Amino acid sequence: MSGEAKSSPKRGGFQFKVRGPRDFYGGLALIAVAIIAILASSELPGQHGFAFGPGTAPRMFATMLAISGALVALCGLFIDGPKIGSFAFRGPAYVLAAILLFAGMIRGIDLRMIGIPFKVPPLGLVISTFTAFVISIMGSTEMRWLESLIAALAMTAFCVGLFVYLLGLPFQLWPFY
Amino acid sequence: MTELLANLALGFSVAAHPYNFGFCLLGALVGTLVGVLPGIGTVATVAMLLPITFGLPPVGALIMLAGIYYGAQYGGSTTSILVNIPGEATSVVTCLDGHQMARQGRAGAALSIAAIGSFFAGCVATVLVAALGAPLTSLALLFGPAEYFALMVLGLIFAVVLAKGSVLKAIAMILLGLLLSMVGSDLETGAGRMTFDIAELSDGIGFANVAMGVFGFAEIIRNLEMSQASRDILQSKIKGLMPTRQDLIDSSGAIARGTVLGSLLGILPGGGAVVASFAAYTFEKRVSKNPERFGRGEIRGVAAPEAANNAAAQTSFIPLLTLGIPPNAVMALMVGAMTIHGIVPGPQVMTKQPELFWGMIASMWLGNLMLVIINLPLVGVWVTLLRVPYRLLYPSIIVFCCIGIYSINNSPTDVVIAASSAWSVIGWSSTTSSRRRWCWPSCSGR
Repeated sequence: MSGEAKSSPKRGGFQFKVRGPRDFYGGLALIAVAIIAILASSELPGQHGFAFGPGTAPRMFATMLAISGALVALCGLFIDGPKIGSFAFRGPAYVLAAILLFAGMIRGIDLRMIGIPFKVPPLGLVISTFTAFVISIMGSTEMRWLESLIAALAMTAFCVGLFVYLLGLPFQLWPFY
Repeated sequence: MTELLANLALGFSVAAHPYNFGFCLLGALVGTLVGVLPGIGTVATVAMLLPITFGLPPVGALIMLAGIYYGAQYGGSTTSILVNIPGEATSVVTCLDGHQMARQGRAGAALSIAAIGSFFAGCVATVLVAALGAPLTSLALLFGPAEYFALMVLGLIFAVVLAKGSVLKAIAMILLGLLLSMVGSDLETGAGRMTFDIAELSDGIGFANVAMGVFGFAEIIRNLEMSQASRDILQSKIKGLMPTRQDLIDSSGAIARGTVLGSLLGILPGGGAVVASFAAYTFEKRVSKNPERFGRGEIRGVAAPEAANNAAAQTSFIPLLTLGIPPNAVMALMVGAMTIHGIVPGPQVMTKQPELFWGMIASMWLGNLMLVIINLPLVGVWVTLLRVPYRLLYPSIIVFCCIGIYSINNSPTDVVIAASSAWSVIGWSSTTSSRRRWCWPSCSGR
């Protein structure tokens, strides 16, 4: 939008320009996924004779995915396409943090197994729900503290009432029994 | 014929049972709610409510989940017409003419034509489900693995054909879906495929988790930037809910065409309500004598897509109930709901659990009747709901999704899987303009 110079290919310069950055990087991402899949399934026994081994199908699909990813990337290289849009990280980061915190808190998590000397005890539904709500609402630019805390309390009460009392799901409510 | 009537009588006796009637009403209400509210879709809602249905009787649970799907088709049009934001992906095209009609002071007519069109389509589709149920089931009972495999391939091909935009990207997405379905233990040898020695991954990546991530979390994250300011709710009172005689005459053809098109696209795999509404609008514009009126408040442009999306929402139950094949994401979640209750979706449902099969069909008709009442006289209630600020709505949805996913297996890992799939979708869609299309062929035994 900002200038014509960007969208029209440079004349005379030797510089090569990716014409459709979105498709180009999207294609590269697909290739990356395919490579990870191929590496992850490389130890599985493959085909012998006409019989499929457990490794055959994953490698087959991954290879096909890599090829189609390469084609998408090639299209992005030569065909004009949309630019990568600006992306606000603030809101999504808070939402992601809220979800991960919920996952880590509800039953507790032991990070020592991946080398971080940190352990979260199981905190139960009430604290996890409340925390997740407050963290995710912080992602909004229009957040107001009092309103948010009241809403968080209300939502926590609603969830406890619905899931634990009405539906009778076996959730741990508090850090202690 | 007499058999069909006897079956329908059985169905109505099941659906009219106060318990099931209540679930049908509840589903219709929840469906309208998520339909009206932009930023939360049917797939996320059905995924969210899956764990809740665990404690319910199977017939009631499935009646409720079905009600959510077609209820959302009614509710979506309300937001499209009054706010010019699609409440649901299926009513995106309804914005074009519906909101213009509202601007011209004909919001009432637009709303009622949308509801009447949906109701007509719903009735026709219900009859279609009932009529096609028996013959398709007897056909499906003859199917062996080879036929099912062929059907799956057909489904994947349709998913490519019906995808909007680049065919290449659609193929890439299908391959990605197939690749994701490979994660977990191999069916024959038990070898862990791409599990990275994580015990939780050995059962594979659950469809509900990914659906919740893709359609729940990702939608919310994407909508975060949408602020309250962009919602110009029509402040004036909606008057004249009854359409004029001329409106009815004008739109009757469009409703009929939309119904036929929607019913067909609903049955096809990869189709569903979204594709149906777009196709109906395009078709209507093409057959119209004055296509220049479309986009400027043409009533046919509201009637056709609204009829089509409701018809498609209901006929998409046909492949699920007769063949056991989910034609779209919501139906895939219905498979999950049936499995939770120990019902194997497929031709056996009709012979082994006739009360479930026919009860669901009868409840669809009852549900449509309820929805007309829920949506027309009570439209004011739903408009008030739109004033709930999004900043309070989205954390509630997030928390609800989290608890929902967690409760399916009591597994925090599932929540993480949902979060990461949401992130990969966002990353991918911000770099690529393709529409995501996840295919989850449950048959891929290999």
